[in-house]
Amino acid sequence: MNETAPQVTSLLTNRDLDRLGRLRLNVSRRFTNRARGEHLAAKGGASTEFCDYRDYTPGDDVRFVDWNIFARIQRPYLKQFHHEEDLHVALLVDASRSMLFEGKLALAQKLAAAIGVLGLRGGEKVSACALGEADRLAPSRGRSAQGKLFSFLERISGGGAAPVERGIESFLRQHQGRGVAVVISDFLTDGDLRRAFSLLHNAGLEIFAVQILGPSELDPDLAGDLRFVDCETTGHLDISAAGDLLALYHEYRLAHEARLTALCQQRSGKFLPVSSATPFEHVLFDLMRRKGWIV
Amino acid sequence: MIPAFSSLASAWLFALLVPLIAFYFLKLKRPRVEIPSLALWRQVLSDQRVNAPFQRFKRNLLLFLQVLILILLVLAAMQPFLRREASRAQRFPVLVDLSASMAARDREGGSTRLDEAKKRVRELIDGLLPEQEMCLVAFGKSARRLTPFTNNQRDLRAALDGLATEDVASDLEEALQLAQALGRTAIFEKVLLFSDGNFPAKTTFELPFQIDFQKIAPGGSNYGIVALNARRAPGGQWQVFVQLAASEGAESTTGVIELAQQGTAIARQSVTLTGGATPRLVFELAGGPSATIEARLQLTGFDSLGADNSAWLTLPEARRLNVFVPESLAGYRHALSSIEQLNVFPQEGAVEPTSFDLVITDREADLARRARVRCSIGLVPADLSALVSIQQQNAQAIDWRRDSPLLQHVNLRDVVLMDQPTRRGEATDEPFATLGYEVLAQGERGPLLLERRRGETLEVAVLFHTDRSTLPYRVGFPIFVSNLVQAAWQQTGLAEARAIATGVLPPLAATPERSFKLEGPNLPTREARSDAEGQLTGLPVPRAGEYTLKGDDGSNRLIGVSLLSPPETGLAAVDRIEFNDQLSVTAATTVGKSDRSLWWLLAFIGFVALLVEWWWFHRPTISHA
Repeated sequence: MNETAPQVTSLLTNRDLDRLGRLRLNVSRRFTNRARGEHLAAKGGASTEFCDYRDYTPGDDVRFVDWNIFARIQRPYLKQFHHEEDLHVALLVDASRSMLFEGKLALAQKLAAAIGVLGLRGGEKVSACALGEADRLAPSRGRSAQGKLFSFLERISGGGAAPVERGIESFLRQHQGRGVAVVISDFLTDGDLRRAFSLLHNAGLEIFAVQILGPSELDPDLAGDLRFVDCETTGHLDISAAGDLLALYHEYRLAHEARLTALCQQRSGKFLPVSSATPFEHVLFDLMRRKGWIV
Repeated sequence: MIPAFSSLASAWLFALLVPLIAFYFLKLKRPRVEIPSLALWRQVLSDQRVNAPFQRFKRNLLLFLQVLILILLVLAAMQPFLRREASRAQRFPVLVDLSASMAARDREGGSTRLDEAKKRVRELIDGLLPEQEMCLVAFGKSARRLTPFTNNQRDLRAALDGLATEDVASDLEEALQLAQALGRTAIFEKVLLFSDGNFPAKTTFELPFQIDFQKIAPGGSNYGIVALNARRAPGGQWQVFVQLAASEGAESTTGVIELAQQGTAIARQSVTLTGGATPRLVFELAGGPSATIEARLQLTGFDSLGADNSAWLTLPEARRLNVFVPESLAGYRHALSSIEQLNVFPQEGAVEPTSFDLVITDREADLARRARVRCSIGLVPADLSALVSIQQQNAQAIDWRRDSPLLQHVNLRDVVLMDQPTRRGEATDEPFATLGYEVLAQGERGPLLLERRRGETLEVAVLFHTDRSTLPYRVGFPIFVSNLVQAAWQQTGLAEARAIATGVLPPLAATPERSFKLEGPNLPTREARSDAEGQLTGLPVPRAGEYTLKGDDGSNRLIGVSLLSPPETGLAAVDRIEFNDQLSVTAATTVGKSDRSLWWLLAFIGFVALLVEWWWFHRPTISHA
C-alpha cells in the first residue's frame, strides 16, 4: 500500500492494514454450523480442499470413495475434505467509563478494528458491539464492510455505566451464529464473569478475551489514607495506609488475571492481558502472533 | 518510682476523648482518588491479613496519635511528679547567704558563690509543686524575708534574681532566728541553708527544726585587707597599720599596697602573700588636718574577692588636747604640766575654745562646759543626790575596778579620805546602774568613783574631793590624771583612728535635730535624723566604699567603709555546724533532690506527637493524578 495515500481510518495506519492483509484469525474450535462459509474449519467438510482418508463404513456416501485406491488394494477408503464454515466474528468492546482511563479504550478500538479487518478479509461475517452502549454493528461481510466497521468503532465514545458481563448478556440476546467472540475489556467488575463467558461458549462462540489495564492499575503508586471513588458506580471505598496494601493488591490482580485465564481456557478460549501503555503494533503483531491468535 | 498527681481534678478532661473520637470519624478527610473499579480493592480490604490488629492500628494511626496527644496533655494538666527525698517538705524556708564571701569567684571570669546558690535555689523553685510553699530569706549581717511562704514561682524567681551580695560577714544566728520567727505563723520542719559555710562553726542557737545545709564550694584564692588603723606617734605623725590576709591554700602572689589621699598615692609598699599569711604593714604619715586615706591592694594574680581589696581610714586633725582645770585644782594642773600635747586652760592671754576635750573641776558651773570628758571632783551629780550624800568623816576605799582604764595602775589602798560618800537607800549598785553609772571604786558606805557614758561624752564623778584626801600625795594620782587624759584622747579620737567596717555606722557626732542623707555605692539614698544629743546612729552600710553624708545644714562628710573581716577574706568554710544542744548539722555534698515535676516532659512528648501527627496528616499521599 502506498504510504502517501490518505489514511483509511484513524484507528489503523495504512501500513498496519497492509500487514493485516497477510494474516488471518486462527480459530481452533470446530463448529457445527451448517452454513458454509469461507473459513476452513476441520476435516469432514465439503470443500474441494483434500484433508484425509478414513475407512469406509456402511452407509457412507459412496461418491467419496477413492476408487483408485480401491482398485489398487481392494479396500474402500473415503476421501475427506476441509469443512468450509461460515465464521461469525463478534467484536465486543467494553465502552464503560473505566475504559476511559489511560488509553484503554483507544487500544481496545484499535485491536477490535484490526481483528475485524482480519475477519472481513477472511470472508467472515463480522459484527461489533460496544458493551454498555446501545449502538452495535450488524453482521457484515466482505471488504466493503471495512468502512462501516471503522466508522462504528471510531464512534465508540465510552462512558457507559453497564458492567461488562451485563453487556455480554445484552449482546447475546440479539446475536445469532457461531464463531468467535473477541471481548476487549479491563474485566474489572464485581459481576459474574463465569456466567457471561459460559453464555458466550454455549452460544457457539470461541472466546478471545483481551484484558487491557492501565499502568496505574498494573503498578499503582499510592500511599496514605485515601478515598477511592468508582468511576462507574460512584461508590467509594476508604483506604488507610494504601502503600502497605499494594503487595496485596498485586496479589489479587494476578489472581484475577489467572481466574480470567482459567475461565477462557475451560471454554476453549484464549486470554491475553496487555497494558494500555503497550504499543498497539506490539500487541497485534507480536503478542497475538506469539499466542497463536492470528497466523 | 510511681508518679503522683497534684491536680487530680484535671482528670475530667479525659472526657474530651469522646468528642475527639466522634469528630475523627465524622470529619476524617481523605483525598479522593477516582479509579476505574473498586473490585480489586474491595477484595484487598476483605483480606484477613489487612484486618489483622496491627494493620488496623496502622490504618487508624492518626486517631491513635490524636488520642495519645490528648492523653498526654490531660496527664500534663494533672501535674504528675515523682516523689523524691525533698517531697516530704510541704513548706520550707530557704536561707541564702549574702555575705561578702559569697561574691568570691572560683576562677577568673567564673561565677560567684551566690550565682551557684541561685542556680540551686532556682532548680528548687522550678520543681516546686502546687501544694509546696517556699519562703526566701536572705541573710548577711542581718536577715530579711524576701517572700512569704508561696508557690508563686514568678515571685520567687523575681526575689531570687534581685539578690546581691553584701560586703558584710554573715550571721547565721540572725537567719535562724528569723526562720524561728517564721515558724510561729507557718509550720515547717525543715530549713534549707545555702551558704559557703563562712560562719562560726559553733552557735548557741537552739534548733527547733531540721537544717539541710547545702554547702556551696568556696571560691578560689583570695587576698585582702583585714585591718586598717592608725596611731598618733610622737611628733604629731601618724603610724598607719595595714593588715593583709590570704585565704588558706591560696597560691603565692605578689602585689602592692598603696595609700592614697583624694586619689593621689602618698605611700606604697610591695608585698608577697601566701596561703594563710597575715602580714602587717606600717606606714608613717605626716599629721595635718583631718583626711581620709584609701588603702588599695593591687595584685598580679587572680583574686577571687574584690570587696576586700580597698579600705578607708579617716585620720583626725592633728592638734593638742584642750583641757580645762580651774586654778583651784593646783594638783591636777601640776600633774598635767608634765604631759605633752596639752593646752591647759585657763591660762593667761589664751582664748578659751568653745568646747574642751577634758574638763576637771570641783565647781558646779564648770560642768556646763562642753567637753568630751568631764570629771567632777568632790561633787555629787544632781541625779545622784537622791542616792548618795557626803558626810565629813574619814573613809577609805575598800575596792576598785583595777581593770578600768581610769584606774589602771592606780592603787587606792590606804588612801585616806576626809569625805565619806554614803548611800541613802539600799546597799546595792542597782540604782546607780539604772541611771547609767558604773561604780569604779567603792568606799565603806557608798561609791567613791563613778563613770557614765552619755553619747560621745564620758562623765567621771569623784564623789570625794581629792584635795581632802591623801591621794595627791600618792603615786597613783598623776597616773589617774594621765588616765583621764588618755580617756580624753580616746574619747576625742585624736590619738588613734580605726577604719569603719561594713554593717552599721558607729554613732556619728552631728548637729542635733537635723536631717541627713547617706549616699553609698550602688545603694539607695537613706535618710536619718540626728538626736537631741547630736548623735546619728543606726545607719546601715552594707557595702564597702565611700559614702557621703549630706546634712540639711549644708554639711558634707565623706565616710569610707571597709569590709575588714578576716573570716570573709580568709574564705573560711565549715562543713559542720554545731549547736549548743550537742546537735550538729553536716553540709550536704550533693544537691538535695526535690520532687521532679513531669508535666513539662509529658507536654514535650505531646508536642512531638503533635508534630508526628501533623506530618502524618500532611505527608504526600499519592504521586499520580
